[in-house]
Amino acid sequence: MATISVTPQTFHYVTFDADQIATLTSTLADQVGFPADATISVEIDERTPLGRARIDSLDPLALHIEGGAIEEPTEPRTLSGRLSADVIGRLLFRAKDRIDGGFADAPADADLTLQQQTAWDTYAMGRLERLGYDVRPPRRQYHFRNRHGFTDVVDRIFTHLWGAEALTWADIDAACQETAASKASA
Amino acid sequence: MKKFMTSQELARDARFKRIGIQDRIADRRLSERQRDEVEGKTAEAAGKKKRLQFSPEHPDAPDRARSMMHGIFVGEIQALEGAGRTCWDFSVGKGPDDVPFELKLDMARQCWDESRHCEISVKLSDWMGTEIGEFGESAFLFEAACNPDPILRLTGVNRALEGLAIDVFNTMKDFGDSSGDPVLEFCEDWMLADEVTHVKMGSDWLRRMTEKDPDRRARALEFQRVVDKLFSGGGLRGDDENSPIRLARRFRELAGFDKTEIDEIAELSKEALEEAKARMATSRA
Repeated sequence: MATISVTPQTFHYVTFDADQIATLTSTLADQVGFPADATISVEIDERTPLGRARIDSLDPLALHIEGGAIEEPTEPRTLSGRLSADVIGRLLFRAKDRIDGGFADAPADADLTLQQQTAWDTYAMGRLERLGYDVRPPRRQYHFRNRHGFTDVVDRIFTHLWGAEALTWADIDAACQETAASKASA
Repeated sequence: MKKFMTSQELARDARFKRIGIQDRIADRRLSERQRDEVEGKTAEAAGKKKRLQFSPEHPDAPDRARSMMHGIFVGEIQALEGAGRTCWDFSVGKGPDDVPFELKLDMARQCWDESRHCEISVKLSDWMGTEIGEFGESAFLFEAACNPDPILRLTGVNRALEGLAIDVFNTMKDFGDSSGDPVLEFCEDWMLADEVTHVKMGSDWLRRMTEKDPDRRARALEFQRVVDKLFSGGGLRGDDENSPIRLARRFRELAGFDKTEIDEIAELSKEALEEAKARMATSRA
């Protein structure tokens, strides 16, 4: 089981529970395939209701999450187990993809286009759903359409990415090129 | 049947979760815009490319759009309930607590429109991947519809809150257009047309029923100002280009607002932003 550290340990702006976040991260790390000796730090920015999340470092793995990303949308300032799994699971899959090598030629996260980010996220969320998590595919499909276009071609590519298990960066990039071409010809 | 219901008495199934305004006010965290304002940053100074919250280039735009449209959906339910209550709460007559029969007809027509908007919103939610009750419900629209004076109620709901709906629908229609989402764009366009009518009803009845009662008109307009300021979202709605929700000047003119009134709403929005910044800076000190 990976070693997880969560900061802060005590929250002041929200009522999050650091132990709950650590337990979930540990479970997800096992399921995604991180080795038992992995160390993962999760930093939560509780001062903002915004919802961005990023990987700060791959070795050791460090995640940075804005509090709004894992907040229960119907109960301000409380932790959502569903969204925590959604966000942490997605970041862990992306990190694992990079570590495993098939994404070695992918641009740095900060340099990914919105289209590339969304395509990679789709690939991650499909795998997370198959682990048994409630990831709300329609929400992800709407994101995908927003970034790639509202066309049948785009929907087909979304389905392909969602159901895939062993893609590489070249596959993600090709999917983005195909949606871009379909958008241009529409 | 009971008259003058409170917002606590509204019927909702288990999917809906209420978020009180106190919950929002007690939140000491800063939105992106508020954070930049408190820190005195422009987007350029912060090293960021300026991206409006409802533009296709904004990373959070799809989720923000989903949340916004869910808020609009519950607002449509409350608008239906509010207009329905206005038909029932007041008697037909010429007394200060009475209303003309024609006002009730207008409210009945608004109920019909709002019912249609609820149905549109449910289908739009499906399209956007949103579940009913996925986000919390604020009851502020119905709370404004609890005012015991029919003219203050119409001014607060139809001119202030339905006016805010004009701004939101116009912004979201533009977002649908720019992101290439034909369903969102058309839904917003259709609902926007009705909102202009609802706001105009509020403007018309305010003028007709207070023609010989300047004090009552002043009270109604003051109530509208309070509602407008309270629900400017701490700077969410405004007239400058950085405002996530832009004041829809042209549609407001069509709905019976004159330039001075629109300028005043822009000013109230600025004040609301300044007050939110001061409140948050104090609470975080």
